[in-house]
Amino acid sequence: MNIGGWIFLVVGWGLVTALIALCYYRIFKKKP
Amino acid sequence: MSERERWATRIGLVLAMAGNAVGLGNFLRFPRQVALNGGGAFMIPYFCAFILMGIPLMWLEWTMGRYGGQFGHSTTAGQFDAMWKNRWAKYIGSIGISIPMLFAMYYIYIESWTLAYSFFSMTKKYFGIAEMEKMNTFLQSFQGVSQSGEFFSSIVAAIFFWLITLILNIWVIGRGISRGIERLAKIAMPLLFLFGIILVIRVLTLGTPDHRYPDRNVMSGFAYMWNPNFSKLTDFSVWLAAAGQIFFTLSIGTGTIQTYASYLRKDDDCVLTGLSTSATNEFAEVVLGGSIAIPISVAFFGLTTTQLIARQGSFDLGFVAMPIIFQKLPLGFFFGAMWFILLFFAGITSSVALTSPLMALLREKFGIPRARAAKVVGLILFVLGLPVIFFLKYGYMDQYDFWIGTILLAFLALCETLVFVFAFSRPRVLGSGVKNRLLGYMKFGLDAGWEEMSRSAEIKIPRVFYYILKYLVPLFLIVLFCGWLWQDLRSETSVVLMRGIESQHRLFRWVARLTIIGVILGVGFLVKLAWRRRE
Repeated sequence: MNIGGWIFLVVGWGLVTALIALCYYRIFKKKP
Repeated sequence: MSERERWATRIGLVLAMAGNAVGLGNFLRFPRQVALNGGGAFMIPYFCAFILMGIPLMWLEWTMGRYGGQFGHSTTAGQFDAMWKNRWAKYIGSIGISIPMLFAMYYIYIESWTLAYSFFSMTKKYFGIAEMEKMNTFLQSFQGVSQSGEFFSSIVAAIFFWLITLILNIWVIGRGISRGIERLAKIAMPLLFLFGIILVIRVLTLGTPDHRYPDRNVMSGFAYMWNPNFSKLTDFSVWLAAAGQIFFTLSIGTGTIQTYASYLRKDDDCVLTGLSTSATNEFAEVVLGGSIAIPISVAFFGLTTTQLIARQGSFDLGFVAMPIIFQKLPLGFFFGAMWFILLFFAGITSSVALTSPLMALLREKFGIPRARAAKVVGLILFVLGLPVIFFLKYGYMDQYDFWIGTILLAFLALCETLVFVFAFSRPRVLGSGVKNRLLGYMKFGLDAGWEEMSRSAEIKIPRVFYYILKYLVPLFLIVLFCGWLWQDLRSETSVVLMRGIESQHRLFRWVARLTIIGVILGVGFLVKLAWRRRE
């Protein structure tokens, strides 16, 4: 895999993983 | 009247909505689309479409559903009527009941193949078939398309698994929202993710399965998927494919999100929960769906053969290539069963959603008890599902897939967007909670929609989405709708023009078209009756 492939793989996976993590963090975060 | 059904827990709601969105397409369609449309570069139009069309439409449909639910409307027919004061609104909205029902008629049959293949994996029924052509004959023999009788003497096995799948679907919807659909999602979705992660780990640890062919390895598979080919970005069809993938994967335009969202409480959040659903779907698609079928295929068959399989279609990848691969893996029967059960879970969590709008119409507007309504839906699916099975070889399903799974989805999404953006009228209220004060004048169009969407939101929607919803989303949908029609009309295998179809097969395709028209008119008539009863 070339460097472009790695960049798109890391960014693609990173974006969706960050989004799901942030969403579930907000959902499960205890409300004050 | 009995109390309105509700989701029992928020996580149950997110999983049920994600289950609705995560379907066979996440694991079979997405990797093909990426590989065929520029690899990593495809992710540019894909994420553009996700942010500019997918997320706003997801919020729009959630908002529509929750708003309609406040007036006791669980279907788009009632929701359009509540939003737009026009006598035709409910009839346009009724398409959101017929689309999912028609969709379910062929989707449940495809879903039943995954159940059958998980059984065939466990019993090693297809083990010993090493060539692609023979495995294709196995699939066609099972579907009754090939009459060779080499593997299956009749279509009975296919009907048997279809009936089991249909009964399972009816059983789940017959148990209701929280005890049926939500419980299914709470079991099936974590298992789907677990199976997906196990399969991804298995793929990543494959290395080079056959050392006689050092270029056939997992990294080459990922390279095929992700190495960017930027020249593809100048091709309009790649942008169309990316927007289409986002559209299909999020289950937009099916009328199902609105029905699920109608079971929210008035002050439940739409924005964060809707975004969480999209995120769950995207994780299942980009991380899991993109890392199984194509990389494993390259590792075993090499790049050239995989490119050929990818061009042939999703079913060739899932039901022809994968069963051959599983035979070459240690514990292949186990991984094979896991793959097909994963697909089955992805399928059933979507198909129960497809049946829910008609269930809701029968229950709410005609007062039919839940169990009986489920049986009625089951009977309709049985009767209208039979031609899908028997006429598969004549291209019956292709008509459904184009008109329902492509054109009408875009049409409904366009209608709901136009109503939400330009015709939505709702009373202007002050305050929050149950004791909202009616000020006596209306807010119209997107101002009303935006206010409704933002109400009780746990995260603030950036204002830029107001303009995206108002200008970009309708434009996107018009381009999609026209683009798909244009693409088909130019194709050598045009579904609209039935190009290259033998004249004796055309009759079956016309039967499919008339069935679609009949169901749409029939549902429209039911809606007319329902409103007359209400008056």
